[in-house]
Amino acid sequence: MILNKSFSYSELPFKIIWSAAFLCFIGIVVLNSISQNHTGGFLSNPFTKQIIFLIPAFLLSFIIIHIPRYSIHKYSYAFYFIGIIIVLLPFFSESHAGTYRWLNFGLPFSIQSSEFAKIFTTIALARYLSDNTLHMKKFSSVIIPILLVLIPTIIVLNQPDLGTSIVMMTPILPMLYWSGARPFYLFLILAPVFSMLTAFDTTVFSIWAIILGITIILARPILVISLFLFFGNIFLGLLSPLMWNSLSKYQQSRILTFINPEKDPLGAAYQIIQSKTAIGSGGLLGKGWGEGTQTHLKFLPVQESDFILSVLGEEMGFVFILTVLSTVGFLISQIIKNSYESKDRFSSLALIGIATILLAHVFVNTAMTVGLIPVKGLPFPFISAGGSFLVTCFIMIGLVSKLSINYVD
Amino acid sequence: MLKADNSASFKQYLFAMVITWFLILILILRYFQLQILGYDQYSKKANSNRIRKITTSAPRGLILDRNRRILVDNLPTYILNTIPGELIDRKSTFRAVSNTLELDSNMVSKNYKKYYRGKFIPTRLAKDLTFNQISRLEENRIDLKGLYYQQFPERYFPSKTRASHILGYVKEVNKEIRNSLINREDYELGDITGWSGLEKSYEEFLKGKRGVQFYQVDAYGREAGHIIDFLPIAPEPGQNILTTIDINIQHMIENLMKDKKGVVIVGVPETGEILGAVSAPDFKPDLFTGRISEQDWRSVLSDPDKPLVNRFNRGLYPPGSIVKMVTEAALLHNQDFDPHKIEECLGSYQFGDRVFGCWSTEGHGSVNLTMAISKSCDIFFYKTIDYYNLDILSQFFTAFGFGQPVGVDIEGELKGIVPTVEYMNNRYGRSGWSKGALLNFCIGQGEILVTPIQVFNYINIISTRGNTSLPHFVKLNKMKKNKTLDINEEHWDRIIFDMKEVVIAPLGTGRNADPNINGLELYGKTGTAENPHGDDHAWFIGWMELNDLKFSVVVLSENGGSGGSVAAPIARKIFENLVKENRLLSQNDIK
Repeated sequence: MILNKSFSYSELPFKIIWSAAFLCFIGIVVLNSISQNHTGGFLSNPFTKQIIFLIPAFLLSFIIIHIPRYSIHKYSYAFYFIGIIIVLLPFFSESHAGTYRWLNFGLPFSIQSSEFAKIFTTIALARYLSDNTLHMKKFSSVIIPILLVLIPTIIVLNQPDLGTSIVMMTPILPMLYWSGARPFYLFLILAPVFSMLTAFDTTVFSIWAIILGITIILARPILVISLFLFFGNIFLGLLSPLMWNSLSKYQQSRILTFINPEKDPLGAAYQIIQSKTAIGSGGLLGKGWGEGTQTHLKFLPVQESDFILSVLGEEMGFVFILTVLSTVGFLISQIIKNSYESKDRFSSLALIGIATILLAHVFVNTAMTVGLIPVKGLPFPFISAGGSFLVTCFIMIGLVSKLSINYVD
Repeated sequence: MLKADNSASFKQYLFAMVITWFLILILILRYFQLQILGYDQYSKKANSNRIRKITTSAPRGLILDRNRRILVDNLPTYILNTIPGELIDRKSTFRAVSNTLELDSNMVSKNYKKYYRGKFIPTRLAKDLTFNQISRLEENRIDLKGLYYQQFPERYFPSKTRASHILGYVKEVNKEIRNSLINREDYELGDITGWSGLEKSYEEFLKGKRGVQFYQVDAYGREAGHIIDFLPIAPEPGQNILTTIDINIQHMIENLMKDKKGVVIVGVPETGEILGAVSAPDFKPDLFTGRISEQDWRSVLSDPDKPLVNRFNRGLYPPGSIVKMVTEAALLHNQDFDPHKIEECLGSYQFGDRVFGCWSTEGHGSVNLTMAISKSCDIFFYKTIDYYNLDILSQFFTAFGFGQPVGVDIEGELKGIVPTVEYMNNRYGRSGWSKGALLNFCIGQGEILVTPIQVFNYINIISTRGNTSLPHFVKLNKMKKNKTLDINEEHWDRIIFDMKEVVIAPLGTGRNADPNINGLELYGKTGTAENPHGDDHAWFIGWMELNDLKFSVVVLSENGGSGGSVAAPIARKIFENLVKENRLLSQNDIK
């Protein structure tokens, strides 16, 4: 094995790196527009803050490229535990407007530890699933990875941070699929979610129960397990209205106002309405850089992170939205391609996991700005302002670059 | 260790790619839907988000007298507003404001609570401030951040007259008032609208049209820069109203009625123009402007003489003898009636089982029709009721304008009562009244009730032989005329001759009205109307002719007593003054 063989920079996946750089540049342009009339300190100005955080971001991705691949593999579990510790730490400090998301080291900025934890979890998952001795045809091989992901996810969910926990959870499905798990098992993972969602409508729930039954019969597990799976799901479905009531008021209201935005025009729905207005009024070519009325008259909320795409849509128009979404689509599909072409299973799984994280961010954030899904506080990769998130994006690019380089064994 | 080979199949790779691009495509299509298909809709929405329309009030039109002297003007007062979000210390600012302006300190914070609508929306603290108060505030400008003032034209009455019942008043439009207006889209809260009198009748002319200015605001409602693409619209001032009132005449009759109760109307018979009209007691015209003290208000409201009631078109009075010319016309109209008929008046008259008295208890002796008018003998009319019946007499009263609004251009006019057979049946039942009712009716007593403005129209009809326009305060292009009466010239001659006798005959009841001026021809009729609620009402109606000029006059002294001794002297003073004023009235003014 020649795993620590030095590599040449020309082997780096430049299509991915240039795409990321382009997105990052667009982000800076938009942030500069937002920051035009910004008063306040250096770090509270999203534009300068972004520029400053690019330095550690570049630095970290550069370092990662030089870490030997086997070290990444070797210490992945260690990092997984560090990840769990750092998402637990905020619970021991003072809450931040009722949340425990931020780690404060006495620096002028705080760190959102869950951003890092989600990468560590994905890498750990990749390591577990790439183990030679694993028999993916067994259901138990599916259970452990799920637990691996659920532990940090549940901690993050309690911070509470619904958006990040969703992103943390999503890589499990594609990674299991990638490593050859039976599609039936993946179905079983998703089944409880459907059972809970359909439980609020009798007709839909009945249809779901039939589909569930047929699938279980076709997969032909032993009778006891079949019965357990079927009735377990039904029971969960019946329980979910009770669980709904245990959700916090703000989570309930976010889901409800998504279903019926007129219900709460000044809360979450207000943000969606203003975002759609900003985007729609941008038209094909936009109102021009720095000319967005929705943006600059502050109708648009959290415009530097969650709703930065709305600013882009308003000021630069559909043309730039199309460019950005195509670029990000190209970037993700390049990672998938590299994952497919990767020689070893660990790299391949890590790449598909990272691709999933990026895609989850892109889809949830963008769909939120256009009112397709409820408001979730998730930023758009490379474009949104945000220290920890920007740094993790570049860590991911570092990892992607490193793991994309194939060695001739 | 990294021994495991990548096991991803091409099928899995393809599936991952399809999912990725499928999700990206959904997002792109959604953006296409919003930005390309929804562009117009969202552009409008973005504009309405940021553009605040602020309308600027238009100055209300003035009300002028017939010689273009100003009766109602606009006084520039000031409204003090605050932007709540800009106040540093609300309490101390309010204290400073009420100290500087010498206002009740509670009023400022009370107004603040009442008008508060948002942190960055101007909120009214005080109104009706004078320029002086504002300049005092301006001296302390540095200490008082977040205060702004705006001009507000308040109604103002610069003339020596009051004319309060004619001019009426305005009200500030609140939600309730706005909902009651027909053209409510034209009004904003805080506008003023005519609420009574000419202010109300001619609202559409006086009002003017608001202008519009556009401001850009941010999400908090703060002003944020100017807008170039929306041009402001300038306000259109209201039109001035030229009334038929003569300030001097109005002032003169107001003085005559000071501390009295009743009505005086002076006008031009041929045209129906009203030169002056008083409903006494009246009130200061600025009673409703808000610049008046609470105390004055209460004294007006609690006055038992009800100064707020407009007596000349809402006061209902028994007319008494002043309507005897109507009965005279009815008698003359019957060809069987001998115009030279003589009846004996012994002071009382037995009709059925009832005794009807003449006002002169010792009686008038032998009386003909002319003497019955000039001496106002009742017995003559009692004895001649067989020449008509109740409905015929009613028709004559209706022809002379009674029992219906004359349509004067001040709202709320009452129509009075002219009894008919149908009316009597409805009121008393078919057998509940007798022919005796006609004895009351023919001398203007009983059920009949009239308004002074109807009486004014009635005297105009007689003096012009039925050729006059209906009474009005503002001359429009086409004035409504009274209907032609079925009375021939010979009968008009007789009626008018008899009315002259009232003021010149040795025993004429209206002699006190004659100012004895050379060349002045006077015609009149007195009335002493009994009424069930108190003392008699004293009436004098008539007109004077001097050269080409003609003025009609109605005097009513409520509970004043005898028409000849109370109302007629007031009329005499009016005629004297009209002659004195004559040089002020050029020929053109009257015609």
